Amino acid sequence: MTTQNQKLKMALTSTPMILIYVIAVFCIVVSIRQPAFLSPATAINIGRAGIFTMCFAICEMVVIISGGIDVSFPAVGCVAMYVPLYLNYHGMLPDNVFAFFGLAMFIGLIFGILNGILVSYLKLPPLIATLATSSIASGGLILALGTREFTTLPPSLEALYRVNLVTYTDAATGFTYPLTILFLVPVALCVVMALVMHFTMLGRGLYAIGGDANAARIAGFNVRLLQFFAYIFCGVAAGATAMIYTTLMHSSTTTALMGDEMIIIAACVVGGCRLTGGHGNVGGTILGVLLITLVQTNLNMLGIPTSWQTFAVGLVLLLGAILTSIQAKRQTKLGKI
Amino acid sequence: MSEPKLTKDRRLPGFLRDTHIVTIIGLMVLVCIIMMILSPSDFFSGKNLVSMIFQFPEYGILAFGMMACMIAGGIDLSLVGIMNLSGVLAALILKNMVQMDGTTVLNPGMVLPALILAIVVAIVVGAACGAFNGFIIGYFGLPAMLVTLCGLQLYTGLAYGITGGPAINGMCDAFKNIANGTIPGTGIPIVLLIFIVVLAAVVFIMKCTVFGHEIYFLGSNAKAAMYSGINTLKVTIMTYMFSGILGGISGILITSHLNSAKSSNGSTYTLLTLLIVVLGGIHPDGGKGRVLGVTLAVLLLQMIANGFSLMHVSQNAKTFANGCLLIAALVLSVVLEKRAEKKAAAAS
Amino acid sequence: MSEEIFLKLEGIKKSFGGVHALKGVDLEIRKGEVHCLAGENGCGKSTLIKAISGVHEPDEGSIWIDGEKVEKMKPMDAINRGIQVIYQDFAVFPNLTVAENIALNGELKNKAKLVNWKEIHETAAKAMEQVGAHIDPDVKLERLSVANKQMVAIGRAIVNDAKLLILDEPTTALTAREVEKLWAIVRNLKEKGIAIMIVNHKLDEIYRIADRLTILRNGAYVSSGPISEYDQARFTRDMTGKDISGEKYNAAASEEEILRVEHLTRSGAFEDVSFTLRKGDVLGLTGLLGSGRGEIGEALFGIAPAESGRVVLNGKEITIKSVADAMANDIGYVPEDRLTQGLFMQRSIQDNTIASSIRRYMKGARLDEQGMEDATKHWIKEIGIVAPSPKPAVRTLSGGNAQKVVIAKWLNTDPKLFILDGPTVGVDIGAKSEIHGILHNLAQQGIGIIVISDDLPELVQNCNKIVVMRDGKVAAEVDNSIDEISLSNLLIGANEEEVESK
Repeated sequence: MTTQNQKLKMALTSTPMILIYVIAVFCIVVSIRQPAFLSPATAINIGRAGIFTMCFAICEMVVIISGGIDVSFPAVGCVAMYVPLYLNYHGMLPDNVFAFFGLAMFIGLIFGILNGILVSYLKLPPLIATLATSSIASGGLILALGTREFTTLPPSLEALYRVNLVTYTDAATGFTYPLTILFLVPVALCVVMALVMHFTMLGRGLYAIGGDANAARIAGFNVRLLQFFAYIFCGVAAGATAMIYTTLMHSSTTTALMGDEMIIIAACVVGGCRLTGGHGNVGGTILGVLLITLVQTNLNMLGIPTSWQTFAVGLVLLLGAILTSIQAKRQTKLGKI
Repeated sequence: MSEPKLTKDRRLPGFLRDTHIVTIIGLMVLVCIIMMILSPSDFFSGKNLVSMIFQFPEYGILAFGMMACMIAGGIDLSLVGIMNLSGVLAALILKNMVQMDGTTVLNPGMVLPALILAIVVAIVVGAACGAFNGFIIGYFGLPAMLVTLCGLQLYTGLAYGITGGPAINGMCDAFKNIANGTIPGTGIPIVLLIFIVVLAAVVFIMKCTVFGHEIYFLGSNAKAAMYSGINTLKVTIMTYMFSGILGGISGILITSHLNSAKSSNGSTYTLLTLLIVVLGGIHPDGGKGRVLGVTLAVLLLQMIANGFSLMHVSQNAKTFANGCLLIAALVLSVVLEKRAEKKAAAAS
Repeated sequence: MSEEIFLKLEGIKKSFGGVHALKGVDLEIRKGEVHCLAGENGCGKSTLIKAISGVHEPDEGSIWIDGEKVEKMKPMDAINRGIQVIYQDFAVFPNLTVAENIALNGELKNKAKLVNWKEIHETAAKAMEQVGAHIDPDVKLERLSVANKQMVAIGRAIVNDAKLLILDEPTTALTAREVEKLWAIVRNLKEKGIAIMIVNHKLDEIYRIADRLTILRNGAYVSSGPISEYDQARFTRDMTGKDISGEKYNAAASEEEILRVEHLTRSGAFEDVSFTLRKGDVLGLTGLLGSGRGEIGEALFGIAPAESGRVVLNGKEITIKSVADAMANDIGYVPEDRLTQGLFMQRSIQDNTIASSIRRYMKGARLDEQGMEDATKHWIKEIGIVAPSPKPAVRTLSGGNAQKVVIAKWLNTDPKLFILDGPTVGVDIGAKSEIHGILHNLAQQGIGIIVISDDLPELVQNCNKIVVMRDGKVAAEVDNSIDEISLSNLLIGANEEEVESK
């Protein structure tokens, strides 16, 4: 029987709480070394830097909860950011924000369907299948359209880029820190997905198939359709996110996002998603993204050269993974009820 | 159990009963025929054959590491990271011990010790990284996919941190010769020899040692392995260590081949090695597969890659084709498995 | 109990690829009765359940539900008509909460798009109240014990308006107390007019709960009737097609001691367990689940070592802290679950046979392939494994043959002490007696044999000494002159009163 005391102890040592402690300690250490850290500018910087990480992490989270994994989204994202600008450059796509985002999402949809077919209909192992999709997407893109780099945005995207939510001006230095309107995209995505995952049969179905696909089939869930949804959602949202990336970074290349899958998966796992499926939620993922973004953007403030950033992210991922294992063991120790 | 079926099977030598191996041989013949039509003089020239030999050993050896882990029921996505970390450390040792002025060596006496030290360090570092992967997987019971992805990040990060970004270039000729030279007087590439030695060692380990059998047992049923008295933690660590050692050897080869070491070399090799092992008939769930299949798959992919480059098709076309081939290989194995299951159901 | 029939099957036939799994089965289940479906392994029980629940469509025969003939039933149709199956693995979601596990299916059936958490909690509370269980509805299923998971599964079936509840081997993983609680719930549901079909093959349990009984053998209907018409002899005869053989195993008297266990303790599992095994003995170790019977085997084999106590094997005191220690002392162990713990299904008979003794085939630097093959051939012949060669994969073998391979694996290590947990579970009758024969032979050769089992007839017939465990302690040590009913009472610790009230 769990007493009130035990419950409190469990809550204080749960994975999200540990993440909050780690984030707090990190912030305190950084702010001791660099008092300038504690300013609205930092918040805006992190908010800016975390936009794509957050969006991609939500995509990946949905797939991981359904019991799969998608490592193709960086390649798919590259196709989705490159093709619209390429077509526009060659005068085949009107200069319209909706056209750009629409096409990007359509491209994501196509690859999502491909992943869905491979995983849910052909029952291929998700990691290997999406790795194959990734190479088809990136190889095929360069094969068909060649490598260029678009560094100037079409006017409509440029206009979007200039819309800011708030702008903070540092009184001492006079630097301005604008926060783009696109920051609302990850916010909206998080809110919507939190609601979908918790309050709809679709969301609960994703948890169910991730927990036990066979039990889900017996209960009457359409397992294939749900898996399909996860990959399609991931593709479509990754396409839109890639277009946000282009808008904010003023850059669209065929390889811009390649290699990002690691950081995204790291954020999800650190945030409590289990690669075996069925576990994880939007709140945890937000914390995971926050921690990873903090580490990425503020490592140099701790006196660690940026060339060690990759290693640091790996270390955070490793510790996060070990933490989940320890938490699981702790729970078994508590015994069955 | 149907007795007649078994006697019928006995007519064929063992490896020809393996559908995967027959498929690969068929594909190799197909590639030969296509190339015979498209550019016979180039493809079958001695020069082309030698150039093929210089290319495949580095990823072929990686594929054996991937194979061992997959047979044990896991996967090793950190191989490319291990390869680059080993390569970077070997390159650093050579750069520091052998003083160079342009391309001339100033202290020739140091070349051999440096070479030996570099190779030993590369292999030891590979083994250590692999053992670390294996320990985390076995001790904490985490999915191999997650741990080795994490390992990839860690080892790549270490290599990147050590080099600070730019590649280490310009090692001495003796080192360059490992992957680019031939055995004096014979014209046989040294890498071919290395590949054959590694292949022989892998075949021996997988077929003729207790450890090799234990890898198969672990991959078939980890719990039954434990109940049969097999130390599963030890076997897991050893399997990933084995894989890591092969990663270290590859690290030396690729660094020597390119005469350059950095953290992002060979980034397409993860996909390539997965493709090789799946095409070679290693089951992603573990416990099944043969070294022969993987070896043939290495040769097949080299032939395809070579065919592409003779046709002046870009690297990206290769990536695209490899992706398609990987899906085709997976679909093939799924179809074959379903057919075998149906047969088994009908027979029982 | 009313006389009204809820489910009626007539002449159900079903074959798979030429194999007749069901050869014309009749079954009648009345409203509000507890009906037991019994039969040996492979008699077609699970195929019949699948036919009733709409998973398999019968080739021939007809199904009536509530007096209405049903054609081409799909799983959803069966559910809508009130048939709910609780499989052995319960088909629950480990990552979701109790409340959700109970209520999600209903929401799905109503084609709800949104989740009403308030309603889910209400449904769960209602179900828990009907079942009479008290489980925190916000706990995730992975934290529940097997018994509580079963409660959740039953609760889920009840809220989905079950009219017929099919429980597939519901007691295999339950402790004595949990079984009693389950029977109380079953009686309660019965009073509400719900028909319950229990698949079971343990006579003592059937007597405790069932009203009527149907027996199948080899896919065919054998007999059916009220439980009072069955006595031990008829039950065994109908189940196996043979009369009970009176022959029991008796060891040649010997004073030579093979194993002595003294005060063996592992907290939470068993306490102060002592017994001895003499040369020629086949020692039975029994008890209900949770009594510590299986745990003693695991302790002696080092999987979950004992914390204190002495083990003396052939006159030498040994310490077992790991599987390696046990193997170094020549102890062999056949685990309870053949499929997941005992065998490498995809691998050949040879690979399985040498799995525990592979090290002895090192010849110089390499393995002696021929030696391994010869050893496998030896055991195929010696213990009668039906196989054309050592090469076929174990998954192609029948249950009995596969179990013989597990036995061969350990015999090939030359064990001095051989522990078998449930050696004949899921094994057909012929192979069962062959396996018993093998064990008797081994015992006479001087190998210590411990059979851990809850199959009482098996124990009485094949062991000359039986240690009965209850709540982690040795409750009694008896010889094989005991009859099954008294043994069963020893197991549950029932006093005379309770036995009579039944």
